[in-house]
Amino acid sequence: MKPKARLMNGEEVGRALRRIAHEIVERNKGAQNLALVGIHTRGVPIAERLAELIGSFEGITPEVGKLDITLYRDDLTEIALQPVVKKTEVPFDVHGMRIVLCDDVLFTGRTARAALDALIDMGRPAVIQYAVLVDRGHRELPIRADYVGKNVPTSQHEVVKVKIASVDDADAVELHEIPS
Amino acid sequence: MSGPRPGARRAGRWAVVGAHLVDGDGDHGVGDVLIESGEIRAVGEGVGAAAQTSIDAGGALLTPAFLDLHAHLREPGQEVKEDLASGLAAAAAGGFGTVVSMANTTPTVDEPGLVGELVEKARRLPGARLRPGAALSHGLRGETLTDFAALQAAGAVMITDDGMPVADGRLMRSACEYAAELGLIVQTHSEDPSLRGDGVMHEGAVSQELGLPGNPDAAEAVMVFRDCEVARLTGARVHIAHVTSRRAMEVIEHFKALGAPVTCEVTPHHLTLTDAALRGFDPVFKVAPPLRSDADVAYLREALRRGTVDSIGTDHAPHTRAEKDRDLTSAPFGLPNIEVAFPVLYTRLVASGELGLDGMLRLLQDGPAAVMGWPRPRLQAGAPADLVLLDLETERTVDPTRFASKAKFSPWAGEPLRGWPMLTVVGGDVVFRLEDAAA
Amino acid sequence: MTATVQIALTEKTRARRRNLLDFAAWSSDEVAALFGTADVMAQVLTRTIKKVPALQGFTVGTLFFEDSTRTRLSFERAARAQSADVISFAAGGSSLSKGESLKDTLRTIDQMQADLYVVRHPTAGVPYQLTRWTDAAIVNAGDGRRAHPTQALLDAYTFRNRFEGFDGFAGKRLVIVGDVLHSRVARSNVELWRKLGGEVVLCGPPPLLPPELAPGVRHSHRLADAVEGAHAVMALRLQRERMASGLLPSVAEYVARYQLTARALRSAADGALVMHPGPINRDVEIAGDVADGPRSVIETQVASGVPIRMAVLYTLLVGKR
Repeated sequence: MKPKARLMNGEEVGRALRRIAHEIVERNKGAQNLALVGIHTRGVPIAERLAELIGSFEGITPEVGKLDITLYRDDLTEIALQPVVKKTEVPFDVHGMRIVLCDDVLFTGRTARAALDALIDMGRPAVIQYAVLVDRGHRELPIRADYVGKNVPTSQHEVVKVKIASVDDADAVELHEIPS
Repeated sequence: MSGPRPGARRAGRWAVVGAHLVDGDGDHGVGDVLIESGEIRAVGEGVGAAAQTSIDAGGALLTPAFLDLHAHLREPGQEVKEDLASGLAAAAAGGFGTVVSMANTTPTVDEPGLVGELVEKARRLPGARLRPGAALSHGLRGETLTDFAALQAAGAVMITDDGMPVADGRLMRSACEYAAELGLIVQTHSEDPSLRGDGVMHEGAVSQELGLPGNPDAAEAVMVFRDCEVARLTGARVHIAHVTSRRAMEVIEHFKALGAPVTCEVTPHHLTLTDAALRGFDPVFKVAPPLRSDADVAYLREALRRGTVDSIGTDHAPHTRAEKDRDLTSAPFGLPNIEVAFPVLYTRLVASGELGLDGMLRLLQDGPAAVMGWPRPRLQAGAPADLVLLDLETERTVDPTRFASKAKFSPWAGEPLRGWPMLTVVGGDVVFRLEDAAA
Repeated sequence: MTATVQIALTEKTRARRRNLLDFAAWSSDEVAALFGTADVMAQVLTRTIKKVPALQGFTVGTLFFEDSTRTRLSFERAARAQSADVISFAAGGSSLSKGESLKDTLRTIDQMQADLYVVRHPTAGVPYQLTRWTDAAIVNAGDGRRAHPTQALLDAYTFRNRFEGFDGFAGKRLVIVGDVLHSRVARSNVELWRKLGGEVVLCGPPPLLPPELAPGVRHSHRLADAVEGAHAVMALRLQRERMASGLLPSVAEYVARYQLTARALRSAADGALVMHPGPINRDVEIAGDVADGPRSVIETQVASGVPIRMAVLYTLLVGKR
């Protein structure tokens, strides 16, 4: 599918992630007791990149977890014929931790809500924050991100596609039109 | 067709005109049948001119009404499933002029008084003639014999425990000895209870696949052998009902070759359905003896062609829809079929070329008459005016909601069939008229 | 999403669902996906909060015309762990009389508008009959001796997880020993294992292993021959009624010829697993030391019941229709 527009190139994505990593450390006054949990699918490589970046300038690399929120969604009957459930791997105790949930795009807010429920079912974090690369508006729930790479106004007929170098061919953020 | 409504008593002379006349003596070409006082007065071209009213057959086939030696009319005691009125009306709709009713009712028809009541009630009902069968043993329990002579005097034409096999060989022998002396036919439901077990369908590859308890053909063959042997021993006329398997038919052939006084019957469903029908898990197809394999059905059809089969009997076994909507263990055995029996047989066996029309008619007319020792049904002066007019051309879909029977469901529901009875006459009265027949 | 759209979806989603009556309408890929989902469900059950909201708002009805506390509780747990509501109808209760019209029984129960029914009945075919009269999904929890698909699923799932170096079912041989004739577990395992690409051998005394059962599957009446090269050997429970009804001479005779002993298992393949659908008759169809031994995965089978049933409920209820 050819993109309608390229919203961020590789350099811009890199810079945004570096900035977010710094903001996380600043807001949480260091990397102690900190963990990043990426929401499947692209939230995971983003969490891993952020953890690496934090490790590179703090000397402490926060733990990374992977969260599948399929079982917590409220819109399962619309999204797919057979939603595939992936494994959740959070190999540390969330109790009392400062957790930053990481995702690629913040849209309606339903994914974030499901992720909050899933995380809280695992234990009682001290603090949950939320980092996204792109906020595309059209919130349906009172959710906001603590850390945002870029704000992009979009229409309902568009889709924002995020590519991360560790899993795709390069870093990029693209805007696509939904075929009618 | 203009003419009288069903049940209307006909006074004076009336006729069916312009029909293709066929009976056991052969094809008599196109002609009329003149009827008066319940009898045929004359047959042939132009005889209908002497009639006061007439029905135009439009060239359709007119033949003596069929004889069914095996139908469950469920009276007394089971009228929720069927009663004499609905059963005899359904028989008429199927083109049957005479029905022998089975005795496995509640109470069992094992007393002369019960036989008499049935005869009396049926006399006043429009529809096919009733010839009651009476039980061989009290309550069908297979322990003590009923009073054959008294039952016969009250009107019973056949002795049968049908529904139940007569498990005890000695009782069967005694029954046959008495029946032989009185000239009564003994009709048997030949299945060995111990081999039959709790089988709900034919034991074979399909029953194993479906994980349902099976009823092997050996259960039938073993009992058929016993019943034939008792017939040979006693000289009684034994009529084996609903033969379903190759093995059983082979046993009967063996005994016929020996000259044993054995006759046999096959049903419309055992000639046209197999155990594969159970794959849908619909208890409509649960019958006893069960629907068997392709090979068995093929052999039965072969036997029809060779003339080994003496008659076709419907074994019309109505139940309520709720009873047939139970699980396969709890649902009762039996399926209703009297109204569609001829169309099923005609479409599947005659129209397909497997059996000639004359062969089929013989199995429904002369065959049963010979088994019972009744006069051969004929289109001739002096014969009772029991006739059926058949439309062999028009295809109609089986619609159980329009059945006269209380059992408004069918294994053939929704199937397009030909050979529908258009008009049935019993004793000179029109007892059935197909509603949508062209005026 | 507006409220009216939400309501319309709820009405629509009760329209014609899939069923799990046996594996006739299931592909091996779909079964593999089920196993993947079961992995996730198994993990949910290890958390502090052993619950997810995936089936919130759905109602699951258990219709057990034939008693089975274990299986029924397993399904109910599978439903509740996903936040579904559960209504139980048990045999002997006023709603479920055997012998009543199934259609009428179901129509009355269906007033509860359950989204899915788990059904167990002593007569084969009842789950198929029920699909005629309701739009709810039907899961067969055992019908007569015909099928018990969730048992076969948890058996195959156990093998997949416990067989050392598992690389697929192709070329794997399952040997089932015992009263095959009366066993829906055997029939469903034959169906599933073969669908997944494996091979099955059936072993038992002649009256309990008729030749027409499972065409295309090897039958053997000698245990040592049957077990040779097996990757999994499953013993079936021997029911006392079989002796009483004259089908078998005696327990001692059966034990001598068909009991799964360490000795009998010697000719099985390396790493072969010992399985049993449970509950076991210790030292009847299976020697105590084998049931407790290192090759036995019987406890894993039991533990797999809830995750597999969670995966089944999830797969049948969730997703676009």
